[in-house]
Amino acid sequence: MTAEIVFNEPITEWGWKVGVYVALIGIAGGAYLAGYAADVVSYRRGSAGHGAIAKWAYLVGLGGLVIGPPILLSHLATPLRAMLIPLTMTNLGSWMTIGAYMLGGLGIGSTLMFLWLAFGTERPHARAAGRESAVADGGRDVASDGGPARAATGDRTVGGFRGVADRVGLLGAVDSVADVTRPSEKTRLLLGALFGVFAAGVLLYSAMAYGEGSAQRVALWEKTFLVPVQIFSGLGVGLVTALALAAVFDRTPGAVLRTYATAAVGLLGATALALAATVVLLPGQRPAATAGVENLLGTHALAFVGVSVVLGLLVPVALLVAAVLGERRGSLSETAVVSSYVTAAALATVGKVTLAITYLMAAEFAPMPLPV
Amino acid sequence: MSTQESSGPARVVPNWESCIDCGACEVACQRTWNLPPESDRIKVVAMAHGTEDETNKPMQCYNCSEAPCVEVCPTEALFFRDDGTVRVSGDMCIGCHYCGVGCPFGAPQYPDAEVPEAAESEPVGARGNGLMDKCTTCEPRQEHDLEPACASECPTDALLYGTPDELSEKLAEDGVSTPFNDEAARIVFGDDADAVMGEGP
Ligand code: SF4
Ligand code: SF4
Repeated sequence: MTAEIVFNEPITEWGWKVGVYVALIGIAGGAYLAGYAADVVSYRRGSAGHGAIAKWAYLVGLGGLVIGPPILLSHLATPLRAMLIPLTMTNLGSWMTIGAYMLGGLGIGSTLMFLWLAFGTERPHARAAGRESAVADGGRDVASDGGPARAATGDRTVGGFRGVADRVGLLGAVDSVADVTRPSEKTRLLLGALFGVFAAGVLLYSAMAYGEGSAQRVALWEKTFLVPVQIFSGLGVGLVTALALAAVFDRTPGAVLRTYATAAVGLLGATALALAATVVLLPGQRPAATAGVENLLGTHALAFVGVSVVLGLLVPVALLVAAVLGERRGSLSETAVVSSYVTAAALATVGKVTLAITYLMAAEFAPMPLPV
Repeated sequence: MSTQESSGPARVVPNWESCIDCGACEVACQRTWNLPPESDRIKVVAMAHGTEDETNKPMQCYNCSEAPCVEVCPTEALFFRDDGTVRVSGDMCIGCHYCGVGCPFGAPQYPDAEVPEAAESEPVGARGNGLMDKCTTCEPRQEHDLEPACASECPTDALLYGTPDELSEKLAEDGVSTPFNDEAARIVFGDDADAVMGEGP
């Protein structure tokens, strides 16, 4: 005869904070990688438009790291002890340890890459003020670089991060630091690739935080299915968020952003397919996951199907497709296109966070059959 | 009697056929170590919940030979002692609950009770402050040749204590099995799993 033990469910161990953390670091890793790809394209083609995506994507990566890890720390019993990473995180066989080091590397990488692209009089991909860049970037080049950069972009003074640095009186200093530390373009991109390894590690960790080998007693988190979900969603949400920021602050949707919007459609669509594969195929491959999948489609259907899949993936895909087609045909105003990008990014971010929390709430420990 | 020389570490393993759900083991553990009320180093848990076979049996840390908790702990707060048992260091734990998700037996506890300088006041566990705490197989009692308090006070001998060799002997004597399936036995007993499990009815 077999029986089940009723223990605490994973959500009672980890709570919503771990879900938010896992979602945000996934977005950070994905945004960095998307930004690096844009950075390389920008270098090769000499296009400021691609460079703008890179800059905003690095900033999104930085933002995810600034918000996510502190949320995790607040979940721990001894946050200060946990922050002494080289002294505490010593078990290199644990994904939490691997993740901590990856996050550290990505934090340094995002900061430097953003600094080098966004600050300094010699910053790469900077647009010259008043210069039309319609050919390369598919749009009029105004208010570029997120704020005033008088040496490189003329005397326009607008908002954005450069504007913020200017208002607090740090712009000159940060620009100097950026110019002094920035290596040659080739070396910068080489370093960027190295930091990209950390970003890829963080993206993988955003899956393995749940799906680590020994945590396999939670069948819903089977990594064969979870890893693609986390990789596609991290890249997709990271990219669409950078795209939205570039559209808002550069106010020039254009051909380059359409390319990235199309890429984001592919990534968000791939996420939806990976989730569909999970609910359809996982129970057949791991019968113990049946309860978790039923929870996703039953008890937590509103969060999973409603928010994560429909609002967080399908609606953003529809908005992006409509924006791309509408702009190309000239039937949508710039404002409508930018609004579509922003709404898609906001919904995709909410969907990603909800997905991570729902995966925690729906999870059940695999029952251990016991003779009684 | 010291049992440390035999093939594997001495553990407490339940013989569920004998358990009458009296809760004496929980009381013995709490009283012996003056634990905070919410600490369950041994806990009588519900099994076959909601079925006509529903029953309540004791579960605690089995000091697994292939302990998943040790594998996932990022800080090495969980570690194997030389005798093969698993311990937690209150000085190194960060309270991440990774072990709580990794342990197949629900053994890790994270009592919130304020226990100032918990590590110093209880060197073989963490006890409170949100850090991981678990059964220590009553290590200080063993130093005085005493069995763990739960096994010693169980009125029906439903908690067996011994090395894998001794456990298989006791189980064979009583004509009963461990509560573990093959996968669980491999995690708990490692290479000794076949020897222990082979002696069941
Ligand atoms: S029972 Fe759980 S806490 Fe104890 S050693 Fe095994 S895995 Fe670790
Ligand atoms: S709660 Fe403590 S003992 Fe458990 S895995 Fe985290 S650091 Fe290790």
